[in-house]
Formats: sequence, C-alpha cells, structure tokens
Amino acid sequence: MARYLANRVFTLFLTVFIAATLIWIIPRLSPVNPVDAMLGRMASGGGTIENSGALLDQLTERFGFNDPLIVQYWLYIKNTLTFDFGLSTASFPTPVAQMIATALPWTLGLMLLALILTFIIGNLLGALMVWEHTPRPWKVVIPAAMVFTSMPPILSGLLLMYVFSSTLGWFPLTGAYGIRVEPGWSLDFIGSVAHHGILPAMSIVLVTFGFWALGMRGLMITVQGEDYTVLAKAKGLRKRYILYKYMIRNAILPQITAFALKIGMLVAGQVLVERIFAYPGMGKLLYDAILTQDYPVIQGVSFVIILMTALAVFFVDLLYPLIDPRIRLGA
Amino acid sequence: MADQTNAAAPETAAPDMAGLTKRQLKRMKRFDNPWNNPKLIWGITLLMGIIALGIFGRIFWDTDLVFTGAVMPSQAPPGFENLRGQAGLASSPLGTDVAGRDLLALLIVGAPNSLYVGMLASLIGMSLGIFLGFTAGYTGGRIDDVIRVGSDVMITIPPLLILVVVQASFGDITLTMMAILIAAFVWQSPTRLIRAQVLSMRESGYVQMARLSGASNRHIMFREMLPNLVPYLFGSFIANVTTSIVTAVGLEVLGLGPQRVPTLGRVIYDAIDSAALTRDMWWWWGFPTVLLMVMFIGLLLINLGLDEVSNPRLRRL
Amino acid sequence: MSVLDIKNIHIDFPTSKGVVHAVTDVTLSVEKGRRIGFIGESGSGKTTTALAAMRMLANPGFVASGEVHLNSLEGDTNVLHLDEEGMRRVRLRKISYIPQGAMNSLNPVMRIESQIWDAVVAHEGAMEQSALLERSNTALDGVGLDPKVVGRLYPHELSGGMKQRVCIAIGTCLTPDLIIADEPTSALDVITQRHVMQTLREMQEKIGAGLILIGHDMGLMAQSVDDIAVLKKGVLVEFGPVRRIIEGAEHPYTRELISSVPLVGGESFLHAQAAPPKGEKLDVPLLELDGVGKQYGAVTALHPMSFALDGEEPKIISIVGQSGSGKSTMGSLMLGFNDPTTGSVNFKGDDINKMNAAERLEFRKQVQAVFQDPYACFNPFYRVNHALKFPFENFGMQGDVDAAMHEACEAVGLDPSLVLGRYPHQLSGGQRQRLIVARALMLSPKLLIADEPVSMVDASLRATILANIHDLKDKHGISIIYITHDLATAYHVSDYVMVLYHGHVVEAGPPKDVIGDPQHAYTRLLIDSIPWPDLDRDWGDAGDARAALDALAQIGGTPETVYRGDIPGFTLRQG
Repeated sequence: MARYLANRVFTLFLTVFIAATLIWIIPRLSPVNPVDAMLGRMASGGGTIENSGALLDQLTERFGFNDPLIVQYWLYIKNTLTFDFGLSTASFPTPVAQMIATALPWTLGLMLLALILTFIIGNLLGALMVWEHTPRPWKVVIPAAMVFTSMPPILSGLLLMYVFSSTLGWFPLTGAYGIRVEPGWSLDFIGSVAHHGILPAMSIVLVTFGFWALGMRGLMITVQGEDYTVLAKAKGLRKRYILYKYMIRNAILPQITAFALKIGMLVAGQVLVERIFAYPGMGKLLYDAILTQDYPVIQGVSFVIILMTALAVFFVDLLYPLIDPRIRLGA
Repeated sequence: MADQTNAAAPETAAPDMAGLTKRQLKRMKRFDNPWNNPKLIWGITLLMGIIALGIFGRIFWDTDLVFTGAVMPSQAPPGFENLRGQAGLASSPLGTDVAGRDLLALLIVGAPNSLYVGMLASLIGMSLGIFLGFTAGYTGGRIDDVIRVGSDVMITIPPLLILVVVQASFGDITLTMMAILIAAFVWQSPTRLIRAQVLSMRESGYVQMARLSGASNRHIMFREMLPNLVPYLFGSFIANVTTSIVTAVGLEVLGLGPQRVPTLGRVIYDAIDSAALTRDMWWWWGFPTVLLMVMFIGLLLINLGLDEVSNPRLRRL
Repeated sequence: MSVLDIKNIHIDFPTSKGVVHAVTDVTLSVEKGRRIGFIGESGSGKTTTALAAMRMLANPGFVASGEVHLNSLEGDTNVLHLDEEGMRRVRLRKISYIPQGAMNSLNPVMRIESQIWDAVVAHEGAMEQSALLERSNTALDGVGLDPKVVGRLYPHELSGGMKQRVCIAIGTCLTPDLIIADEPTSALDVITQRHVMQTLREMQEKIGAGLILIGHDMGLMAQSVDDIAVLKKGVLVEFGPVRRIIEGAEHPYTRELISSVPLVGGESFLHAQAAPPKGEKLDVPLLELDGVGKQYGAVTALHPMSFALDGEEPKIISIVGQSGSGKSTMGSLMLGFNDPTTGSVNFKGDDINKMNAAERLEFRKQVQAVFQDPYACFNPFYRVNHALKFPFENFGMQGDVDAAMHEACEAVGLDPSLVLGRYPHQLSGGQRQRLIVARALMLSPKLLIADEPVSMVDASLRATILANIHDLKDKHGISIIYITHDLATAYHVSDYVMVLYHGHVVEAGPPKDVIGDPQHAYTRLLIDSIPWPDLDRDWGDAGDARAALDALAQIGGTPETVYRGDIPGFTLRQG
C-alpha cells in the first residue's frame, strides 16, 4: 500500500513538473524574444498601449531575462507552484491568478456535470449493447447513436446550438447566466445557470458517451464469458442483479482507470465547447488570451488545467483499491 | 463451460448444412475471411471518398478560388437564398463565405489537409509507440520503468494545451510541423498496448519455440511477434488518426494552426468568428462539419471492423 | 425414485460450418442419492447433456427435441416447458451446478459470504442479517472451511482447492435434488483433488441428492461414482454400474478409454525395443547441473542440487512433482531460459549461460524441448510448416527440408498431406503435439526436455504421444528429461525418477522402486492420492484426505533425499 501511494505521488509530481517545464521551455525555443514579439503584435494591432513601460518591466521581470537561465527557471518554478502567474497583459494590471479564480468554478461545475453524465450514460448503454436481455429496439438505437461519437466537441456544440438555440429557441445561445439575472444564491440565478449549462454539457456528453460505450461493450463481452457470470446464472440469481453486481461491477473496473487517463482529453474538448458557447470558464479565458496574445494568462490557464487533470488522475488511482479488492494486497 | 462452443464444434460429427437460408450461408462465408468485413469496407470507402474529393476536385475545379475575393461573397448554394434574399449561383455550388472564397474549393483543399495531418501524426506516433513498446516489453528492467512512467505522465497532459502554448509562442506553423507536434502526444497508448502484448507474448509457447530454434531477438520481435500485432496496430493507428484530427481541428477552431493553408477547422473558425450562425449561413459551417463527420464515421467503422477481425467473439452469425 | 429423467434428447449447435449435432438421442435417469459419471472426450457432449437439464446451454446451442423431467416439479415436470422465472427458481434450489473453472468461478469483487447470501436471498427472499450469517456459516462449515475467516475473504485470497470447496458450499446450501459437477477437480493437483472430491461426496450423501459428475478421468470415476455413462460424439454408447463398465465394458470405445489409463505395475503401453542406438562417448557428462538453485525474490523455487547425465547410453529421466514443486523451473534452467541463482548448468562441459552466440546456436540445436500447451506452440500467423522449417534452416542443417518434414511426420504417425500446409487452428491438440515431437525428431538433438507433454491432450492420445517420445530414445538415441505430475506414465517411461517437493528432491531412484514401493512420506501420499481405475483399491474417505493434508503440512523444512538405488550413467546429489 505504501509503495502504491509513493508511486502515485511520484507520478503526480513528475507530471506537474514536466508540464510546468514544457510551458517554460517552449517560448524560449521560439526564435523571437516573446516580450518583443508580444509588444510588437500588440502595437501593430493598432491599440495604444497604456502603461507600456510598466508592462514591459513586469514582462521582463517575469521572464527574468537579466538572470542566468537556471535562475530564471528556478524563479519560474517557485512562482508557478505558488500560483503566482504574474499580471495579465491584456487586462493589465489584473493578476492572472485572480482571473483564473473567477473562471475556475464555472469550468469545474460544467466539467463535473458533463463527466458524470457521460460516464454513467456511456457505460450503461455500452453494457446494454451486450446484455442478452436488452430489449431489441435498444440494440438498434444504441449503435446508431454512436454516430455522434464521430464528431469533435465543437461540432456537436455547433449542431446543438443551431437546432436548440437558433432554430427552436429553447436554450440561450451563449453565456452562463441571463443578463438580467443578478449573480447570487437566488432561485432565479441557479435556474438560469442550469438553463445555460444544459447545452454545453450536452454537447460534451453527446460526443464522449460513445467512447465509454464502446469500451464498455468490449469489457462486457469478456465478462459475459467469465465463469463467475455463468455460475451466477446457475445460482438462479435475478437477471438484473447479475447485470449490476456481477457484470457491470467487474467490467467497470478498467473503465475507471481509463476515466483517469481520459480526463485530460475531455478537459481539452471542454475548452472548445466553452469557446463556442462563450461560457465564462477557463476555456473562454484561454481563447480570449490567445486572441490578445496574453501570454501570462495562456501559461497560467494551461498549467492549472494540467494540474487539475493530474490531480484527478491521482485521486482516481487512490480510490481504485477501494473498488477492486485485488489491488489492496497486490500493491 | 467456456470451451463449450469451441470444443463442441470441430470434433463432433460433420456439420449439417441443410435447412439454412441463403442469407445465413452468405454470412458463414464471411467467417472464412475475417478481413471481408462490411464495416471495414464501408469505412475504407468513406475515407477513399475524401481522398477522391481531393484528387478529382483539383482536376475538375479551380483551387485558386480559395483566395479572398475570388468570387461573390456570402452566396448561398444554388436553390437557397442568403439573408439578403439573393439566390445562390451555380458557379459556386456550395456557396461562398463573407470574404468571397468558394466553399467547394476550400473543401477540396482543406479536407485532404486535415486527413494528412491525422495520418502523419498517427504514423509518427505509432512508429514511436512500436519502438518504445517493444523496447520496454522486451528488455524490461530500468528502461521499462522509465518508458512506463514517461507514458503515464505524458498521457495525463492534454495535448491541446501544450500545442496552444507552442502556437502562442511560435505563431504560424506548417501542416507537417503541426503533425509532428501532435505526434508527441499520441505515442503513449500504442506504447502501453504493445508493451502489454509483448509481455504476454514473450511467455507464449511459440516465442519459446522460436528461442529453442536459436532465433535472434530481432527475428522474435519482427517475425514472430509483430505479425500477430497487426490487427491491434491497425486499430491503434486508426484510433490515433481520429485523436490527431480532433486535436488538429481543435487547434484550428481556436484560430491557431497553419494560418495560410485552408483546413476544415480553419473554415469552421472563420465561420464562427464571422457569426455565420446568427447570419444563418448554414452552408459555411455545415459542409465542413459534414465532411468531418464523414471522415470520423469512416474511421469509426474501420475501427469497429478491425475489432471484429482481431476478436472473433465480436463476430455474429 | 428418479430425480431427473432425460428422454431422447437432441441438442444442436448452429455454427459457421453448419449445424453441429452435439447430442443425439440420449436417454437416462438419475436416481435419488445416486452418483452418475458422464465420461467422454472434449466435444463428446457430456457437459452439453448435463447443462440441458439446467437450460444453460452455451450460445447458440438449443434442445432440438426430447424431454427433461425434473420429478419434484409440481404439475408439468418437463423443465423445457418452464418460463424464464420458473427456470430461475429451479436453478440451485432444485438443480445446482459446480463449475469446472474453480479459479474464476467466484465474483472477484465480492466477499465469499456475500456470494452465499445472494444465492439464499434470490430463492428465499430477503431475511435478517443474522439469519443469513447462520446460513453461510453452516454452508462453509459443511465443506470444512472456517466461516469466520473464509467468509470475510475475497476469492483471490483463497487457494484453488478452497475456492472449489466454496463452490460446493454454494451448490449444496439449498439442498437441491441434483448436483451437476463439471470436472470439479480438473485444475487441482492429486492431493487436493482427493480432498475436494471426498468433500463433494460427503455433502452429497448428507443431503441425499443425485449427482452427475462430468469428467474424462476413468480413475476418478471409478473412485467416485455408482454408474457410468460413456458418451462419444454426442451419442450415449454405454451406460451401467461402474463395476460392470470397468470390468466388462462392451463397447470398444469404453474399453479404449479404460485401457488408455496407465497403471502403476500394470501392463506397459510401450513396445520394447531390442537395443537403442548408442550416443557419442564423451569425457564429460552430456548435461550436468552443478549446485544449481533458483530463487525468485524471497521464494526458493529450487534448492541447490546437482546431477550428471552421461549421453552415451540414452536414458529417460523423469522429474515428478505437483505444481509449485520446482519441476518446471528445473526445465527452464536446463534450457537456459532462466539463469540459476547459484551453481551452473553445463552442457558437454560448457556453462550454457556463458556461451557466445555461435556456441549457443550449437547448444540450441542439440537440446530441444516439447512443452505442455500444444495450442500455444504454433504461431497463429504462420502455417504449421514454419515451426518445423525455421529451426531446420536456422541451424544450417543439410538436406531437403520438405523431405525431412515428411519423414518426421510419418515417424510420429501423422499423414504429412493432412497436416503440413495447414494453419494451427485447423489441427487438433493431439496433432499439434505430435508435430512438435516431429520437429524435435527432425532436428535430431542429443537431449530433449519434455515438460508435461501430454497433460493437455485427450486421454486416449496420451499413450500414443508418449510412445512417440519414447521412440526418440529407442530408435534415435536421444536422451530425454521427462517432467510430469503423472506418476503412472513416469513409471512406465523412465529409467530414473526424481520426486520433487517444494524445490527439494525427496526421493530418487529407478521407477520400480520409487513409484512401485515408495519410502518417503510425500511420495507415498502422492501415490495414495491417485484415483486408480481399480474398484478394489480404496481411495479412502474425507477423513483420510484431511489427515493426508495435515501430514503434508508436517513435511517441510529441508527433507533428506531418500536414494533408492543408482543406474549407470546418472548421478544425483543434494547441494
């Protein structure tokens, strides 16, 4: 157990460390000085640069161009690990950490909703594809629905938006809550948030559930042939009980590992969905930062998302022994 | 119990072919050659369609129409009207965008580009995966540990974010460059898959037999193990093409990726950016979306087909 | 009164090659409290017939015609007429099933007691926790497992024998009319097999149920059942009381099944040869183990031991032991697949782990092997010729490959035109294993390591393949190391026997002494545990089996080898 834990913690730190290092190295490999490039691009963008002196100072200090590389790197790692990402260049002088803190709850909420929905729907449908007692119409409908898996998340977002917002007008086109609603813990606000959240969440679910369903299908086929499923039937257990306690319960185990591994992919997909729905989360923040060449924000957002992913993987790994007794001793 | 179906069939009395419908007989024939799989064939046909679009489009259509102002802007396809009530022109069968670019020309150039990025990235990723997977599985020890932890770490980092950082620092990049960057994030799952397979094959009877026959490590890896991995490798390759295209399109839709080369993602980016949705210019984002869907359905079908090739249990009579 | 009547049952399997008639017109009855053995080879329909009574045929099998009457049902007794819910209620409560794959038959994520509880609840409805606990305690107690400990465990924490006893506990906890046991001991070693089988008999007698025991081992049948039903290709060829079948079988197939079981002290299945050709005379031993031991981490697989085998007079040396005894480790050490932790393995005087590439190729050419699993030994990607052709060419051997392949196939009794050029999955296990023997023959090595060569082959073919291997010695002068768990074949085949237990050689000598008249407690226990197809030889009861397991626990530590005599050209010592 101790070895298992140590192993996981090591992987967690290594992941965060490598991600941080990549984010640091990449701009330095670029042939142009990022500060000059950024200022140049901003100037050529036509905007007058207020506080350009202070901006230049903060950028130079941030990148520490006057120090030797190793010192720059050390400074960067120290800052990053304390969530000090400097000040935004586009909305100077707002601290990046503050912008991320505002956006993070939106992203987390949407992500959690979408992830849980897609995991449950996908695995259940995948299991039903294999189960011998599934009603016949379901066996036709489920594989047909798999077509949506083939879409990248932006497309499903566009499609849902076109059908349910533009054409039918059932859901608002963009945003996280209505313009006339005051943020706060009021029923109106929560209702508005839910109303706005459904389409973005659905567009993630729509394109990802098939991935889980296909994986579950393969696992269920294996479990269906296992001796314990046969014995369960010979024991005269009820068919639904066998489905849940014997088949799905065992088939889901590798899916949970896959869950951890695919979080990164799902989060990246969500960035795109937020961008189309103008949802005020990390994805939107990132997109705006790309448009305005706001390098500190890009760095900060990327790091926080990777950190979130790595933490999620870590916790799934930690919880895994609780659901699979064979891991407990095996360590 | 498990061997019941397998064991019962071959060693008992000769099968009785009477009383079977023609349809069943036809299905049976398919069992003899697993590659003769309808899903696989349909999937390949769809992808060939995209490639054919690229080839024949260049012959029969003017690809210079991808440049700004080449044709009348904001035209609907013939038979439809744009918001200003102008009827579509036959000279632009799929309509045009607000900058006066011909959509058909954009698709002819853009669709094969997207496929190219996916294929190249996946090819590089697979090669890396085969090399690392075999090395890890066959040598074991410290090297195995490093490769395993490395792929554990890299599989957690979402490629899109790192690529965003790359793009933000480098500005414009070429298609090939983008493919290479994506490849850096798609070697992990083939590596894991091949490593696991090599580990189990290393103990298998036929590899031991080959060792008894004095086979070299190279012979064992490439002549004994690799051929049996082919269906898995194909499956993994196709899955990676999908992932790579999704990542590439994701980048392009954010307005990153190659700036001067038309790609499907770039067309969609322009459409969203110019509010094609509210202007009701459905053809602008609709056609590239349909092409992407065709591409992904093709890849999905190939993957399902390959699954059935490598796992006979999925095949049904 | 009969519990179950099977009347004129036909079972069909539609397959890709057409409809297979797996069972044709089988009729028999199971009396209350009586044990019936279904015996036959794989594909004979024995499991299919039994499972039809539970309506649990593997897909896509179905009962084409016939009746199955479960006489304790009220009204219509034909189980084939029951609806799904009715059938569910019959399973376990009236007919229970004890599966073959004890290793995987329990849900890996559920505690043992929960797997008894869910069965009870499914048939008797929800009940108090304390009542459930009482039920699981009684069930586990009955099969000799401590309910307080075992009930709380997960399946992976139990040994194979314990898992199978849990399956017996589940199968008997609702006192069914009939128990179907599908090769319940096929994955267990003989000592555990006796214990599990005796436990099953004890429980069956206690609840007075009928028992159908499915198997392929005539010895186990003779020791366990009252009646035997012999099936061949889906047809019931013979049915009768066990004594009549064993002593006076009428059908030639039954006689063949009985005679294919080698007996210690019985008639040999080998044909004596005049004088085997001599190998080359060397100053050093052909194969020498010098203080060889092997450890995996803290576990000692093989304690240091030495032997020297002289190749001049070809011999067969048997290494006998149960799984985990270290016998397969010895095999892989001799092949150089594994480095010894201590000592060295020398072939013709050279340490095989210190050879250069050229020497190693020569070593490979001269030392060949036959492995246990004939299904895994062929690369599914290639035609079977690859396995024969590749080594022949790789070793740079002279002569025409095809002619050599044909000759080798004929020498082991295979028709070359029927096997060569096929893919492995098109051949039966027996054909594949003979091809592997043919491969060894073609390469004419000096030494052959045969690691359980017949344990996965159907019983009737075992004698033939062993005779083929024996011929390698007699006709071609190849020395053979025969690794097996089967004392009876070792008795007939070998010139010298070593019995391995926990990595120690506990007894060694000529087979007539070691197996015919064992001295060491472990060897005696092994021989007593074998179910002989001899009705007058008592297998003992459950108490004996338990006492034997206790005795086994006493043997441990570092037992001294009991040397039972030497043969020329072979020396053995500890350390």
